Amino acid sequence: MAKTFVIDPVTRLEGHLSVRIEVADGKVTEAYCQGEMFRGFEQILRGRHPMDAQQITQRICGVCPISHGIASVLAQDAAYKVSPPPNGRLLRNLVQAANYIQSHIVHFYLLSALDFVDITAVLKYTGDSPVMADLRGWVERQLKEKLIYPAAPFLPRYEGKYLADDAANFMAIRHYVEALEMRQTAHQMVSLFGAKVPHSTALVPGGITEKVTARAIVAYKSKLEKLRTFIRDAYLPDVVRVAQAMPDYFEIGKGCGNFLAYGVFPESDAPDDAFFPSGVLTKGQLQPLSTAKVAEHLKFSKFDARASGRHPYQGETIAQPAKEGAYTWLKAPRYDGQVMEVGPLARMLIAYHSGKHPEIVKSVDALLAAVGGKPEHLDSVLGRHAARALECQIVADKCLDWLAELKPRESSFNEFELPQTGEGAGLTEAPRGALGHWLVLEEKRIKSYQCIVPTTWNCSPRDDKGVPGALEQAIAGTRVESPENPIEVARVVRSFDPCLACAVH
Amino acid sequence: MAIMNRRDFLRLGSLLALSMGLGESLAPRLAEALEELTLGQNPILWLQSQACSGCSVSFLNSDDPGPAELLTTYINLLFHSTVSTATGDLAAQVVNGTIKKGGYYLVAEGALPATMEEACIFAGEPMTKLVTEAARKAKAVITVGSCASWGGVPAAENNPTGATSVPDYLEKQGVHPTLIRLPGCPVHPDWVVGTLAHVLGFGLPELDHFKRPLMFYGKTVHDQCPRFAYHEREQFARSFAEEGCLFELGCVGPRCFADCPQRLWNSRTNFCIRAGAPCIGCANEDFARLANFPFYPKGMDFSQRREIVLPKGFK
Repeated sequence: MAKTFVIDPVTRLEGHLSVRIEVADGKVTEAYCQGEMFRGFEQILRGRHPMDAQQITQRICGVCPISHGIASVLAQDAAYKVSPPPNGRLLRNLVQAANYIQSHIVHFYLLSALDFVDITAVLKYTGDSPVMADLRGWVERQLKEKLIYPAAPFLPRYEGKYLADDAANFMAIRHYVEALEMRQTAHQMVSLFGAKVPHSTALVPGGITEKVTARAIVAYKSKLEKLRTFIRDAYLPDVVRVAQAMPDYFEIGKGCGNFLAYGVFPESDAPDDAFFPSGVLTKGQLQPLSTAKVAEHLKFSKFDARASGRHPYQGETIAQPAKEGAYTWLKAPRYDGQVMEVGPLARMLIAYHSGKHPEIVKSVDALLAAVGGKPEHLDSVLGRHAARALECQIVADKCLDWLAELKPRESSFNEFELPQTGEGAGLTEAPRGALGHWLVLEEKRIKSYQCIVPTTWNCSPRDDKGVPGALEQAIAGTRVESPENPIEVARVVRSFDPCLACAVH
Repeated sequence: MAIMNRRDFLRLGSLLALSMGLGESLAPRLAEALEELTLGQNPILWLQSQACSGCSVSFLNSDDPGPAELLTTYINLLFHSTVSTATGDLAAQVVNGTIKKGGYYLVAEGALPATMEEACIFAGEPMTKLVTEAARKAKAVITVGSCASWGGVPAAENNPTGATSVPDYLEKQGVHPTLIRLPGCPVHPDWVVGTLAHVLGFGLPELDHFKRPLMFYGKTVHDQCPRFAYHEREQFARSFAEEGCLFELGCVGPRCFADCPQRLWNSRTNFCIRAGAPCIGCANEDFARLANFPFYPKGMDFSQRREIVLPKGFK
């Protein structure tokens, strides 16, 4: 008989998530993802000036504010019929790319690594790295003192199988500390052209307010080179070491098998000319994206179900916190009625199948060869980590091209006139996956604003037909050695890099 | 939320013993002692409510000291949802155990949903309740960011959850802790680290009537603005492509109290006005609150010149 366990809260992700699992014979039979926090951005935006939106929506998420800012200015660009000059487009790409790099490094080291790396190994360290010696000294002192929670916030933890190789642990712990500095460096890159981060004020419809200077180009490049080295020499090798030590995680966390991407990093004004292409991959078949097929289901969400099944242009967000049968604040987005997984893995697979990027195909194949995995293994916990690390490298390399195209003394902003009425969809990709903002204008004010965010797709509840969401499907079937210590489930959850403030908003 | 009982202590003791390689035989003894143990020097409990984690992310942007040095040298960060290894029951136990012990500094991030407590849940319990309990037992409460300090975006007009600032919510519950407000969307890492350094080393810093440290919030952005000369010469930019004072594009620097122009953001890299973006007053009490007070007054309607209307209270 199945027994129910609740992991509440799931920490080391953005926001408030709990996961309810039913376990029978040591295996998860059903999983329910529960988003536990709601603020009501879509109501707050109604009636406001549309140019408030790129500022307000960035406050949906402090980890990926840039992507919300970009989605919002893209929706407004479309509604106002303006497009940024080349400098504006390139600076938006560079700001967004730097935030990708920041986000991916944070995800692997701060949020996920301690599920695999044995942090207590630091006590065995005898080498000559001052950083590691300091860390060991700190843990030793904490243990000697009469502390309830020695070495907090790194302990206590779920017990289970961690990396056994001390050398690999030492390396990853040192890189954890370095990653803290690297993510700051990436944020400085965002700030160079985005004013500040979290929450960039420089993103506006028509382009960006910051100007291109040779000084800023050089500063960005100098910081970028440090990150490229870290990604090449630390991030990717650490992912490979985890994969080699725990290859079973290529079999664990297999998702719904459908992948969706809106495309990101425009290369010109032409629609659909994005560096990472859009597309929908079902059963290994790539199809062109048609956003008319996107709808949100509300049967199991804490919202009025009368608006269920609607396209976001017609969407409603009416809270019903005590609704019977509802178990989450997330809506359930579906594409053509189907569950979709979004994120770096979706982007890499769609780019892989698009044939547009032979270099991406080569990098994916090389990484798979390094870890001894096959393409079908990518749909897994380790596949998601590997795709994210690889994407981080590809994006960082691509920044060099965009930097080279910048032109000091040319404007990064085009003027526009605000129309009385209009509508626009802002489609982009946040670090965590496909992000859409849908704006409807009336008398120069926001009539309707709906956001469908990557984690809304990934952590979605069951839809109106009762089909579980992407993460719920990926957790089901996972073996747990000790249901009270469900580290295996936590690893599956974190492989999706959930962001709950985004998902519910 | 259940207060930590003896069984919880035993389980935690055994997990700690295992983690530290002490072997399970030591677990019961360790658990016996747990009730006698302390939270350590400068214990911090960081709780997130209706937040975006932006203030936590910004805190990680601290330098001199950087985040690793902060955690291992200056503070004992007992729990932070985005950083803590503990998850599930274990995380709930750490939070409960800390609150039971008392005597920590509570850092509160995010607003509280006063009229819809289901809108923010932690370990099966409303965050409104947990933050109230945590504030009761704290040495001081430091609200980071505009959501916790003022209500911020979650408390904007037309919001459905009754989002309220932490001080206002506590006031209604009759809880009156020592309070410091550090508004900003997000908070600047220096404002948090500088305040903690002062509190831990020298006691309460000098505060204004809103309980903001004067050392960070004593002057307006306008008074420190690098484009102040443009304002004096009445050279106003009317488009983001123009040079000049950003007042006509909606800048509320004259009524926003923060030291951004001096301090700059992201390790002194840049800040809004330097990047040609108007100050949107993110540290202000009324930040984003009113639906008809847009950030960019004429919405970049370049065909019309905006009449200059001084914001309320600005002379």
